[in-house]
Amino acid sequence: MTKKLSVSILPLIVFILLLGFLLKGLFSDPRERDSALINKPMPEFSLPDLMDESIKHTAQSLTQSPVLINVWGTWCTTCKYELPFLTKLSEEYGVKIVGIYYDQNHAPEFGQYADIPAIRVEVKEMLQRLGNPYQYNILDLDRTLSLNLGVTGAPETFLIDADGTIRVHHMGDVNERVWRDKLAPVWNEMN
Amino acid sequence: MIPELGNFALFIAFGFSLLLAVFPFIGLRQNDVRLMQLAPNLTIGLFVFTLIAFLSLVYAFLTDDFTVLNVAQNSNSALPTQYKFAASFGSHEGSFLLWLLMQSGWAFAVAIWSKTLPADMRTRILMVIGWICVGFYAYIITVSNPFERTLPYFPVDGRDLNPLLQDIGMIIHPPLLYMGYVGLSITFSFAIAALLNGNLDSTWAKWSRPWTAAAWGFLTLGITIGSWWAYAELGWGGWWFWDPVENASFMPWLVATALLHSLSVSEKRNAFKSWTVFLAIATFSLSLLGTFLVRSGVIVSVHAFATDPARGVFILILLALVTGGSLLLYGLRASSIKSVGRFSMFSREGMLWGNNILLVAATIIVLMGTLLPLVHKEIGLGTISIGEPFFNQMFSFLIVPFALILGIAPLIRWKQDKLNKFVKMPAFIIVVCMILAFVWLKAEFADVKVLAFSGTALFIWIVLYTTIELQQTLKKVSFNKLPLSHFAMVFGHIGLAFIIAGVGLTSQYSTQRDVKMFEGDSAVLEDYQFAFNKIRRLDGPNYEGWAADMSIYKDAELEANLLAEKRFYPVQRNTMTEAAISDGFFRDLYVSLGEKLPDGAWAMRIYVKPYVRWIWLGGIIVSLSGALILFDRRYRRSSSVA
Amino acid sequence: MKLYIVIVLAFLVFVGQQVHATEDVVKFDSTKQEETYRELLLELRCPKCQNQNIADSNAVVAKDMRQKTLELVKQGQKKEEVIDYMVNRYGQFAHYKPPVNIATSMLWLLPAVFIVFAIVMLRRRSLKSNAQNQTSVASETLDADLEQLLDSNSPENKEQNGDKGA
Repeated sequence: MTKKLSVSILPLIVFILLLGFLLKGLFSDPRERDSALINKPMPEFSLPDLMDESIKHTAQSLTQSPVLINVWGTWCTTCKYELPFLTKLSEEYGVKIVGIYYDQNHAPEFGQYADIPAIRVEVKEMLQRLGNPYQYNILDLDRTLSLNLGVTGAPETFLIDADGTIRVHHMGDVNERVWRDKLAPVWNEMN
Repeated sequence: MIPELGNFALFIAFGFSLLLAVFPFIGLRQNDVRLMQLAPNLTIGLFVFTLIAFLSLVYAFLTDDFTVLNVAQNSNSALPTQYKFAASFGSHEGSFLLWLLMQSGWAFAVAIWSKTLPADMRTRILMVIGWICVGFYAYIITVSNPFERTLPYFPVDGRDLNPLLQDIGMIIHPPLLYMGYVGLSITFSFAIAALLNGNLDSTWAKWSRPWTAAAWGFLTLGITIGSWWAYAELGWGGWWFWDPVENASFMPWLVATALLHSLSVSEKRNAFKSWTVFLAIATFSLSLLGTFLVRSGVIVSVHAFATDPARGVFILILLALVTGGSLLLYGLRASSIKSVGRFSMFSREGMLWGNNILLVAATIIVLMGTLLPLVHKEIGLGTISIGEPFFNQMFSFLIVPFALILGIAPLIRWKQDKLNKFVKMPAFIIVVCMILAFVWLKAEFADVKVLAFSGTALFIWIVLYTTIELQQTLKKVSFNKLPLSHFAMVFGHIGLAFIIAGVGLTSQYSTQRDVKMFEGDSAVLEDYQFAFNKIRRLDGPNYEGWAADMSIYKDAELEANLLAEKRFYPVQRNTMTEAAISDGFFRDLYVSLGEKLPDGAWAMRIYVKPYVRWIWLGGIIVSLSGALILFDRRYRRSSSVA
Repeated sequence: MKLYIVIVLAFLVFVGQQVHATEDVVKFDSTKQEETYRELLLELRCPKCQNQNIADSNAVVAKDMRQKTLELVKQGQKKEEVIDYMVNRYGQFAHYKPPVNIATSMLWLLPAVFIVFAIVMLRRRSLKSNAQNQTSVASETLDADLEQLLDSNSPENKEQNGDKGA
């Protein structure tokens, strides 16, 4: 009799467990994705500077000291809210910030080419208006570096230490709370 | 004015559900017949006022009443009338009202078609429905009210219905599905009523069966139409994605199929009783779980509604109360349910046990595949994805024993049968099937692919065995005397056979080409020539775009003239591909228009899809079997006895 | 002479039309390669979309992943290698088949355990009834019995069917 009871009460127990997970699930973001880049070295690349294509940046030139890399674009609405805060970080806290410009339009196989001069004008105007946190910007036209960094859009931010190892990959904008809770501890430790 | 009326009607309906939950309960406790007899009347009231509420919402949509928030968010004055109707249940709030309409409608049906049930049983069932309704009506009135107003500032025009939903599929698919989901609450209520009463004789199984068959039939049809609609509407020729919301409809279907078969054992042989009750609880619980998943934001899906944590928590509480409560009741009372029917492993009961095991195993796979990413993340192991490749692989294994058992089961006798029936004839038939399948595939496709071979061999197996069984039965019983439920079995099994064949063949032998074509060009795929005649401008009621005029030839004969469209809906700023399909019993020809390329050519995707229609043909045949069960004379006769 | 040139030109134009074949947007070196490519497009998940594989999605990252997949497949890489490449950049999230660990092994183990358990239960129940009378009952006979029971709706029949719980 008791054996049958324990078998027939089993579904209820499993269900209660399930409810627990569903409840937890209600308060977490289902589109959240783990980064695959943590503790991996910065990928190799050789890309031109956004403003001057004769200057070439590489992984070497980038990672001599701890650096915050920010993936952004002028088309990205959230980035506009992020710029003032990043500027504050670079000016007041001395955080070295480098930008990777992510262009969505460049698709040569479909015959679509990004208008670099237009981008430069837009970028200049925006940084003047909202603040310029970037030491310089890397133009990732083919989005090859972005692919290697596991970037799916903008804004995304990386913290790289002096050895060139990626320590943090944050998807979404950087603001006071994100800096304080997620980035600052690692940044302070890296320095 | 009308929206106010609708809102008020909802409140009254809620009131009825409260009364339905309480008075019959008191009546049963105190054995007060008058209070018990209130139940059917209260149910009628519940239905009538829910109907008024639903009609008021539809009226608001049809009259472009943008003072109602729901109308402003989901409709537009340029939207064609039939889609304005569909938009009334296209949103979270509206679809929930549709759910309640179905719920009260099914309850109403129980109230008027259960006169042969003992009074206390009927009262109990309606009371349980009342309990369910109290929670649901409370939900819609408080956090999900479709009659919310935009006043005092209302928009001049609405945000329009998502273009993807502006299709005939939207008008029939959700109502059919909901009829199924909600209909399963009736069997659930029967089971709970029986658990409360302590009476689970085989007559309980007999009464439950038609209600289960009806709901199951609707659910089958709803899923079939959904699959067809996705294929026709989404533009890339897929018909099932194992998307969490699709899985949410498939799980109740799997368990309901198991329930239908288990009920016949409980009815005829007084066995599987406790298991059948559990299945009845599980089926409706899975419907509710599905509702939760779609509306809570817990999973990512193209089907999911926009979400709100308050709603998620409320629905979770409803789920917890209904399922938790019923599983608790089951846990406590199940041990006292005794099945007296005895049988050996090699018997019809054994076969049906096999059917049930495999269907429930399939449900476990789908449930785990859908929820494991969530659990995996919450226990800190990281984010993973489980999708098509996983489910396809598992199901391609499970279908083999399932179809094999399905074939021979109708020939196996109840209680005990000879072992060699499981060996001699099947061995012979399986060889025949394999040879026929091989010959078929070799002749038609030259290349014999494993999964297609499996699908076609199983198809032939089921068809052969069903024919053999029919032949044997007709020797003993004349055609006119055969009960409809026997035909239901034949239809159900043959329908499934078509689905298995269709899936196997189309998944393995569909071909496609991505091409770029100028006007006048043609592309060849398989034996067909796809000629791009010219490109035309499109001007629709609420869209504009391009249409590619195509002609498809086979051996220089015209097969079809098609228009593959690319539509731009300005209000929602959405671009949609309307694929052009030439449908046929043996193959579909499918053209999807892509982008205009810089050199003036058009990118297109052309497909040849063999046997894809067999999937939906099979689905329709299976759902018909549900209807046949309903009209079986044993259910009709009993209503005339009373 | 002029006529001759015109005829030749006309002929060339005519032949040119026949020979002008529709271009495939994507070209492969072998059918095996094409198959691998198509399978990969169905197995890799778009990291940014609402549950879509990279075949169907229009997102920029999906396009880039398709492009890269094509490149790698044409280089001769096998399916597992391409998947590893993508997983190393986008995580397990980008693969529609889960990695095998203790938690995900439940996906296969639980149904298998359930099936085994149910078969054992079936054996138990059938062994219990070995001692009893084993007359096989044909389905039509059963239907006839049921009809008889329905015909007479009398109390004795209710008792016969009855199995009242505790």
